[in-house]
Amino acid sequence: MPLNIDWQQILLHLLNLLILGVGLYLILYKPVKKFMQKREESYAEREEKTGDALREAEQRKGEYEQKLASADEEIAELKKQASAETETLRAATLRDAQAEAEDILADARDKAKREHDKMIADIGDDIRDLVSDMAEKAVMSPGVNEAYEQFLNEAEKGEEESDGKD
Amino acid sequence: MSKDVKRTKRNKITAIVVIAAIAVLLIVGIILTDPLYQTTEDISEVMKDAVLHEENKVSLFGYEVNPAYISSIAVVLLLLGVALVIRIFAVPRFKLIPGKFQLLVETVVGMFDGIAKKNSPHRNGLLGAYVFAAGCYIAVGTTFELIGIPVETTSGVSVSLPAPLSDINAAIALGFLSYFVILSGGIAGAGLRGVGRTLKDFSLPISMSFRLFGALLSGLLVSELVYYYISLSFVLPVIVGVLFTLLHALIQSYVLVMLTTMFYGEASEPHIKKPKKQKPTAKHGAAQNNIPVSQEV
Repeated sequence: MPLNIDWQQILLHLLNLLILGVGLYLILYKPVKKFMQKREESYAEREEKTGDALREAEQRKGEYEQKLASADEEIAELKKQASAETETLRAATLRDAQAEAEDILADARDKAKREHDKMIADIGDDIRDLVSDMAEKAVMSPGVNEAYEQFLNEAEKGEEESDGKD
Repeated sequence: MSKDVKRTKRNKITAIVVIAAIAVLLIVGIILTDPLYQTTEDISEVMKDAVLHEENKVSLFGYEVNPAYISSIAVVLLLLGVALVIRIFAVPRFKLIPGKFQLLVETVVGMFDGIAKKNSPHRNGLLGAYVFAAGCYIAVGTTFELIGIPVETTSGVSVSLPAPLSDINAAIALGFLSYFVILSGGIAGAGLRGVGRTLKDFSLPISMSFRLFGALLSGLLVSELVYYYISLSFVLPVIVGVLFTLLHALIQSYVLVMLTTMFYGEASEPHIKKPKKQKPTAKHGAAQNNIPVSQEV
């Protein structure tokens, strides 16, 4: 054959290549590729999990934001309600306080009147005693007797004069 | 000057002296041993034998084979041995975050797999494995000649083992095997249409074989030429070795892998039926042209 082409040698080389191809495929190519594929799947799974977690987080965030928005409204509503309740309570408290104050005032007045009446009554007795004492003192004092004597004299004098004229 | 600087300088001088002494001893050894290996062949005979392998045969279990076949066996054993070692000691320790060696192995496998997937997106399971084996075989086989393992021929001459693909028989085997792989892809992917597509490129195995053979042979011839003369055996082999061996190893691997994957992809592409164009009817056509049917007929 030209160029020393030898069919037997070609077949021998083919056999070599076949052994090499099958050997490398089974020993190295397949296990390494399998490992790489496994890792790729593992990363894909992780990515999917991360994506799911991210989506869930986004969803939760949305829910929370919605809840927050509704909570603001709820808070405003509660504030309004609390304000109304406070107003009602305040009015009731004021009303009660006024009633109580009126009661206290009435009691105080009543009590004061009673005290006043009692004081007046007590003072009447005291005045009477005082007047009696004063009268007694006045009667018993010498000046008064002189004045009384003079008064009586004057009165007698005046009676005599009126008789003389007659 | 500090002690450290003095010590560094002394170490440098020692290293230079040792290297120079080794180089001198090597040169003396080369010159002294040269007469022992005086060849009776002239350069034209050496180069002719490098191309044709007619003279120097090696005995293998009683069969006379070309030295390149011994190289082929050595390369196959070497590759399978390395693969086995990696499989036993490295692959079970592979981690999700790869180390340097794992990254190297994964990059090589991933590169061939990626080329197969890119050029043949429809079918690429077998193709990836084949181009991986073929690429490794060409790359390792071509650099194998740099080792220069000596073997004794049947005529008693000592020759260094050449690259397996510098033998035309090995190149033809690889070229035809690639063609058969492409053909199998064509059959698996597109049936008879795939066979037709593959047979259309009947010159492909010849072109693949001779491209490989020519590329590898050119390196071999230049190496033979350089090593024939002792005066050319200094410094020059480093450049020649790099240019004609390492570059060929990479370039030829890449070329064969790319060609095989591209032709495989083309042959295995599934056929998509094109929607039939509706021909305008005679009546419709006539109406369009404002010609009475009777006149048109």
